[in-house]
Amino acid sequence: MTSAIAVTAAGLQVLGVAAAAPLVVGGMRQVRARCEGRAGGGVAHPWRDLRKQLRKQSLRPAGTTAVFRLAAPLLAGSALLIAAAAPLISTGSPLDSTADLFAIVGILFLGTVALALAGLDTGTAFGGMGASRELTVTALVEPTILLAIFALSIPAGSANLATIVTATTHHPSHVVTPGALLALVALVIVILAETGRLPVDNPSTHLELTMMHEAMILEYAGARLALVEWASGMRLTVLLALLANLFLPWGIAGPHPGVAALVLGAGALAGKVAILAGIVAAAEVFVAKLRLFRVPELLAGSFLLAVLAVTAASFLTPVSG
Amino acid sequence: MSTATYTELLDLAAGGLLLTAVLIVWRRELAAMARLLTVQGLALATIPLLEGARTHDPALVGVGGAVLLLRGVVLPALLTRASRADGEPRRESTPLLNTSASLLAAAALTMIAFALSRPLLALDRGSPATQAAPTGLAVVLIAVFVMVTRRRALSQAMGFLMLDNGIAAVAFLITAGVPVIVELGASLDILFAVIILGVLTGRLRRTFGETDLDLLRELHE
Amino acid sequence: MSLLLLLPLLAPLAAATLTALVGWRRFTAWAGVAAAATILGCGITLATRITSTPRIRFGTLLRADALTVTMLIVIGSVATLSCWAGVGYLDADLVAGRTTAHRARLYGVLVAAFLTAMSLAVLANDLGVAWVAIEATTIATAFLVGHRNTRAALEATWKYVIICSVGIAFAFLGTVLLYFAARHAGAGGSALALDTLRAHATHLDAGVTRLASGLLLVGYGTKAGLVPFHTWLADAHSQAPAPVSALMSGVLLSVAFSALLRIKSIADIALGPGFLRTGLLIVGLATVLIAASLLVGQRDLKRLLAYSSMENMGLIAIAAAAGTRLAIAALLLHVLAHGIAKTVLFLSAGQLQHAHGGSTRISDIAAVLARSRLLGIAMSSGILVLLALPPFATFASELSIARGLADAHLGWALAPLLLLLAVAFAALVATTARILLGRPATDQPAIAVPRTAAIALVLGVTASVTLGLTAGPLTHLFRLAATALGAAS
Repeated sequence: MTSAIAVTAAGLQVLGVAAAAPLVVGGMRQVRARCEGRAGGGVAHPWRDLRKQLRKQSLRPAGTTAVFRLAAPLLAGSALLIAAAAPLISTGSPLDSTADLFAIVGILFLGTVALALAGLDTGTAFGGMGASRELTVTALVEPTILLAIFALSIPAGSANLATIVTATTHHPSHVVTPGALLALVALVIVILAETGRLPVDNPSTHLELTMMHEAMILEYAGARLALVEWASGMRLTVLLALLANLFLPWGIAGPHPGVAALVLGAGALAGKVAILAGIVAAAEVFVAKLRLFRVPELLAGSFLLAVLAVTAASFLTPVSG
Repeated sequence: MSTATYTELLDLAAGGLLLTAVLIVWRRELAAMARLLTVQGLALATIPLLEGARTHDPALVGVGGAVLLLRGVVLPALLTRASRADGEPRRESTPLLNTSASLLAAAALTMIAFALSRPLLALDRGSPATQAAPTGLAVVLIAVFVMVTRRRALSQAMGFLMLDNGIAAVAFLITAGVPVIVELGASLDILFAVIILGVLTGRLRRTFGETDLDLLRELHE
Repeated sequence: MSLLLLLPLLAPLAAATLTALVGWRRFTAWAGVAAAATILGCGITLATRITSTPRIRFGTLLRADALTVTMLIVIGSVATLSCWAGVGYLDADLVAGRTTAHRARLYGVLVAAFLTAMSLAVLANDLGVAWVAIEATTIATAFLVGHRNTRAALEATWKYVIICSVGIAFAFLGTVLLYFAARHAGAGGSALALDTLRAHATHLDAGVTRLASGLLLVGYGTKAGLVPFHTWLADAHSQAPAPVSALMSGVLLSVAFSALLRIKSIADIALGPGFLRTGLLIVGLATVLIAASLLVGQRDLKRLLAYSSMENMGLIAIAAAAGTRLAIAALLLHVLAHGIAKTVLFLSAGQLQHAHGGSTRISDIAAVLARSRLLGIAMSSGILVLLALPPFATFASELSIARGLADAHLGWALAPLLLLLAVAFAALVATTARILLGRPATDQPAIAVPRTAAIALVLGVTASVTLGLTAGPLTHLFRLAATALGAAS
């Protein structure tokens, strides 16, 4: 039943993610800069970048089709949809039926594919190279995300993300089972791969031959570029928020929350995402980028861990309370 | 200790056993494999220690301590010492199967182990320890896989130790260990077997110059 | 009387300790022979008692029934012959500088330890202790196979240790699963004791027992040289020194198989005879097939003998698959006759190896009958036993095994089996004719055989002939063993 408060919660999630995405990216860059001994550009720097890009002229390479035109809006739209449907601030989203595991992963995949196809559509060498690399990684990442979250869904009894989060809130010991721990490791690896962070892809590189995600968006300019960068930031924020809520869901508001619960939920989420982003950024300072042919090894390993997580979750006795 | 805590800890130990087995398939350096074997021995020893603590059985706790000493300390130390000998390279030579394929094979073997152990699970549904026994069987199958696909003599020896760890895990999980005299004999046997393998590796290095098993090609039909 | 159960363990243990302390000397070598003779003596004495008391116990640890006594006699006879010849063999090696005093001492200790382990394996009351003993035989023989420090010996040792240890590990897993099934069938803490298992056999869970029996078949089958883990056999038996090869081929394979026989008697009650019968038949036929094909065109004498052992083990497995009382009794007769004959053959091969500078290539060896009457006659009699020609015992045993197969409605297996045996027959005849017959060339002098080896060979040939002419009181023993194993008529 769509209640006003549920719609408010969903709207709050969308607005929050949209507003906070560049701040998360900026925060990560700032942490990395501080660790490396630089002053950094400030946490709000990506917002200033977006403002600058919006003022510039948006170019379209000659010969591109609707695929190129639609990619950026599709990417942004998918990210916003996930932000609305997933249990980030409260578990009672009006789009709850869409918050099923397969649907969420499918929508994520839709965004990735749209961007990759647009990269191919530009007809340049780097666009094609970036697209093929990105799809190789995605081909290994999608099954792993499915299996890892499926492993989490076995003790909860349902593949709906909100149900999983609620079950973990009521039975905290689910997180300490071997299935959940293996799923955690697998999820961390694939989130790093999916969002293009080290050790899979260096987000701040300027060397085109080493790029994966950046190579696909070399041809973008102006408002379209702003949209793509903002959408990538939103995907990162949403994935980090999901990771936090699947394993440490405390603070999240229930299905029919009051205003105070909503505020608490928003605050808890902001805190958790900030801490996770900081940890990822700090870890990036110490990790080197993997050579491209080693990436499938890493992803095969995370796939194996996800498979083991599913077998452990289904065969080892689930603990009740 | 409550049943819930016992089951959790037991499952964590079994999961740890399987995880170390998978990581041994992943890693190529001999030193890293020896370290993982130490952790595996610790995870293995936890199982009889937990059982002994729950049933207040001092004999079982004693066995757990002995297992910890043997498989967690002595045997990995022997293998580490052999791997640090002069002339022994730090990394595995090109294995027969690349890492991604090995990891996928390990996943398949885990599935097979769980399928094979259905009659075991059917016989003893009430015990959480028996429900965790398929992980031991999976470690056994993965160990055979490691032994078959590695080319260094020491890697085969480490695979053999993992095989024995897996079988000991199954023994502890389904029956709280075999009679003490058999356990004692089995422990002595694995100790001697590893010592023999270590000595043989040294002789291989002196006779052939290196311990790549592909050099053992003289005997054939 | 229960002291008779302890002596086969204590005597070789004493010999081992003596050799460890003093080193390889004349009297320690003879101590080894004495230990082996003690085992034989105990076996014979127990054989006279076993008709009145079907089961003799020593505490809860040791137990003897007719099968145990049979195996003790086999171990005793093969060990006595092999240790007797070993005295001169090792002395010749020491004199020629092929081995050192340290290695000779290790040899003495390990052979005696090997005998202890084998005796324990057949005397154990408990499947778990039997497993420990059989694993101990692998450990004891590891450095015996690698006694000669050549590259080929090292390769053979590595393969032997790895493959047999993996096989034995699988057998341990099978034992654990059987223990689990027995505990759930109501047996107490001594659930692995043979009599307890037999008593609870009808209540053993079928699924778990099936898994356990399969693992035990594969595991102990590795040690017995059965397919698919047979690849260590030819290498190990050909690279070991001749007396050790005799021990391994003659009796170790059979001891491992006797463990399988005991498991079969329990599994047949729990699962019905069909499961292990099919398993043993498939494994047995495959083993005979592979062994026969590798016998053809074989270029190395000791490998030839090793493959012949493998073929005989396959035949024994098929006899066990038949499972009738006649088949099992014939199986045991075959084990004894084959053991003695193989010992004689390996000891002769060892002497030939010494005479030809360490080479066992068949192309290097010729005209043996002309160069040494003793070796020629010994080899001929050994080969005749392997060919299963009358008047040797293997003629009767193979005939009875064929009859047993027909009785068990497995007659369809007879045709391929006889074909394969014929192939092996032809290969053996061709090769040995080449070795034995002909005129010696100028670079092939007469072969001098040391006295200990000569006596051992004469004893062995006499035993083979006697066994062939009359199995005598042994037939009764074999029939008792077959009944003890629960064979149907």
